[in-house]
Amino acid sequence: MTPRWTATGLSQDLPKAVAMAGHWQGQDLAVWRSATGRLQAWNDRCPHRGMRLSHGFVRGETLACIYHGWVYGAEGGCKHIPAHPALTPPATIRVAVFACVEQDGVIWVAPADTLGAPTALRGLQPLRSISLTCDVAAVLLVEPALSGEDTLRGLVQIAGQACEVCLLVQHGASGLTLHALCAVGADRIAASRWLEDLRRRAERKGTA
Amino acid sequence: MIRLYDYVLSASCYKIRLMAALLGVKLKHEAVDFHPGRAHKSVEFARLNPAGTLPVLVDGDLILTESTAMLVYLAQLLGRDWLAPSDPKSAAQVQHWLAFSGRLAASLGMARLHDMLLYEGNIDAWRAQGHAALRELEAALSERRFAGGVWLVGDAPSIADIACFPNVALSQDGGVSLDAYPSVRLWTRAVRALDRFVEMPGIHRLHELHPAPEVV
Ligand SMILES: N[C@H](CCC(=O)N[C@@H](CS)C(=O)NCC(=O)O)C(=O)O
Ligand code: FES
Repeated sequence: MTPRWTATGLSQDLPKAVAMAGHWQGQDLAVWRSATGRLQAWNDRCPHRGMRLSHGFVRGETLACIYHGWVYGAEGGCKHIPAHPALTPPATIRVAVFACVEQDGVIWVAPADTLGAPTALRGLQPLRSISLTCDVAAVLLVEPALSGEDTLRGLVQIAGQACEVCLLVQHGASGLTLHALCAVGADRIAASRWLEDLRRRAERKGTA
Repeated sequence: MIRLYDYVLSASCYKIRLMAALLGVKLKHEAVDFHPGRAHKSVEFARLNPAGTLPVLVDGDLILTESTAMLVYLAQLLGRDWLAPSDPKSAAQVQHWLAFSGRLAASLGMARLHDMLLYEGNIDAWRAQGHAALRELEAALSERRFAGGVWLVGDAPSIADIACFPNVALSQDGGVSLDAYPSVRLWTRAVRALDRFVEMPGIHRLHELHPAPEVV
């Protein structure tokens, strides 16, 4: 069973005033951080003509669509339509909002009514998010030290040293993404090279 | 005055326009009817560049037909800060990224010419090679971030960044998304936020840095 909270990115990759694409179980999301640091996840479709809001841009506490510039504010409500500047947009023009929290340097999303918090990941630091063209089974096949389904964990060898790693699994429109964390204090450059190598080996194994 | 034989939609020509703008130098632009005119394949143009490619940069009796060589020339002449440090490692890394920018043009650049100007060729192969190159760039930029860096070589932007930026920033035009490359995306934002940055169709200054449009 897939948990409701899904990792969709790492905090380090989403600075203030930036938007990026995210996913919750096949649903495309626009994940963005306002100028003051407020994190939000919305359906990635502009209510106007369906442009991806993750391609939009942040201005202050709002997200503007790249296409015709419709501006959306807190809770997804449309605040401003540049072609009709005098109009107060009706409350029905609203983007669907998801729950979005940040914990252990990971950005997690879930449906709006989700209660509780994602599982805590103690003693780990964020490494990188990478996408793969194979499935999880291939990853487990080439790295038997890892186990799990949605959270792959284990003690692996990185540059000759045992290192705790955690790979958070995300299934998106374009395939598999792993949000990787490694033990606090581990050499992240070495860990990143291990991760690249893991991807190459898993993709060569292919989809089982 | 330095002359640039130029086509507005060309990523390789934009490399040079961007570099010149960042260096604060004005070039004399000679617009070439690349599409649909194919003027770069004419007999007249071959006197300037027998290879029939754009851009071409002319300064007195010097004629350059490789954009990476043009970056070196402009930076040597007008802004040596843009050459990155000259220690052996940095100098070699700059050469690496200048050569790598050719791979970006041959993959992402061709995918874009295919989608925009109907160039014929193996689009799936170009896109796959583009993703392979972006993975390398993502890995390198991630390592730079772990070391506290932002740019490809050294502590400041250099010709290495300018060489690689255009085809990466335009990759969407060739059907290659940057969604899977967070470090690459943050790096393109850093370039787009540079002082004196200039735009081209498909590449914009950070919108956040533009004032909000006036409401009339
Ligand atoms: N010499 C290379 C050529 C760059 C290049 O491929 N330019 C394209 C336009 S973006 C071109 O002229 N293509 C025509 C052709 O290859 O026939 C450079 O300066 O980087
Ligand atoms: S599609 Fe978003 S404003 Fe038109």
